[in-house]
Amino acid sequence: MTLDGAAIERLYRSHGHLVLRRARLLLGSEPDAQEALQEVFASLLRAPQDLRSAGSVVGWLYRATTHFCLNQLRNRRTGARLLQDRVAPALGPSGGPSPDALPELRSLLARMPAAAAAAAVYHHLDGMTYDEIAEMLGCSRRQVGYLLQRAQQSLARLEQSA
Amino acid sequence: MSTRLADRLWPACLSALQLDRFLAGELDELGARRIRQHLVDCSRCAGALEGMRAAHDERLPFLRVVPLAPRARRWRRAAAAGAGIAAAASLLLLVQAPGERVKGSGFALRMYVEHAGEVRRAGPGETVAPGDAVRFAATAPAKAYVAVLSLDSAGRASVYFPLGERAEAVEPGAEVALPLGTRLDATVGEERIVGLFCSSPLELEPLRVQLERGISLAPDGCQVTRWSFVKR
Repeated sequence: MTLDGAAIERLYRSHGHLVLRRARLLLGSEPDAQEALQEVFASLLRAPQDLRSAGSVVGWLYRATTHFCLNQLRNRRTGARLLQDRVAPALGPSGGPSPDALPELRSLLARMPAAAAAAAVYHHLDGMTYDEIAEMLGCSRRQVGYLLQRAQQSLARLEQSA
Repeated sequence: MSTRLADRLWPACLSALQLDRFLAGELDELGARRIRQHLVDCSRCAGALEGMRAAHDERLPFLRVVPLAPRARRWRRAAAAGAGIAAAASLLLLVQAPGERVKGSGFALRMYVEHAGEVRRAGPGETVAPGDAVRFAATAPAKAYVAVLSLDSAGRASVYFPLGERAEAVEPGAEVALPLGTRLDATVGEERIVGLFCSSPLELEPLRVQLERGISLAPDGCQVTRWSFVKR
């Protein structure tokens, strides 16, 4: 895949919506989601070889968005501000999960180990199968099962302590 | 597991990834046919897909960092051949034109500005508008470490090029387009531009702070170009 500047801009126009949609879901804040949109494509400008070596553009954008947004959630937590009070964006027109549980889930994701948090996002928010999650994370189905179990244990523990 | 978060929150049986790949045309014919057949009988998946399609109608903001080929001699405005690449019109053109030369040094920096799909070379005092895209091209008789800084009318200094913390090496050549362009923000008024051609990769934050304090930049070992434009 040739990836010059014009190609990246075309990619932004054709695929930016999926990045924005997922970033809104994960971050629950319009300005933060817009920032994520810019940052994901800026990272592509800095390292276009990452996308060249990826099998799927959509898959690469899913991974990059998840990685960026989970980092943002962790950074927010580091900033001593959990996100239960953040307003989730309206999800009606673009489909997706019920917003009711999202602020709680975001705050929990910020406290989970990174790989388990990513597996939880792919499973809970994106509805991915174990095979799809394994592809996203570059691991085996068995490892996915372990990560999701770990995520669920973390969720249960964090909910109990809340 | 008792937590309600253990349940999948995605409302459809096909994953978002699969539906996005379907929309993007990434699936092979067999995979796409299976999705189409499933959508006929599954209202939840059909609804999710419809929502994702509707999201594509939203107008995306400009990509803040304008990507262009790093060593283009000629900036071509990409033809908007189809709705999917309509925004490619925001790419800048590189055209041959005389630049702002540091007298006697051979170093020169040029700025090009795109406004409403048209691209022109910016000269001193050029009038531009918020949202216009700008990009710089450097001429250097020898390898130099280049940086472009600006001071806007609100007194804020920023680094237009490079993204990193230090001036970036540019190989000798004429009209070497610097790899990144920028979209201008909404701050109107006169904005001063300082181009630096240095013999070493200077750290830029101290220079940015100096500029913001109103100190004229003249770092040791650097050739300096200056001009301004007016944003309104």
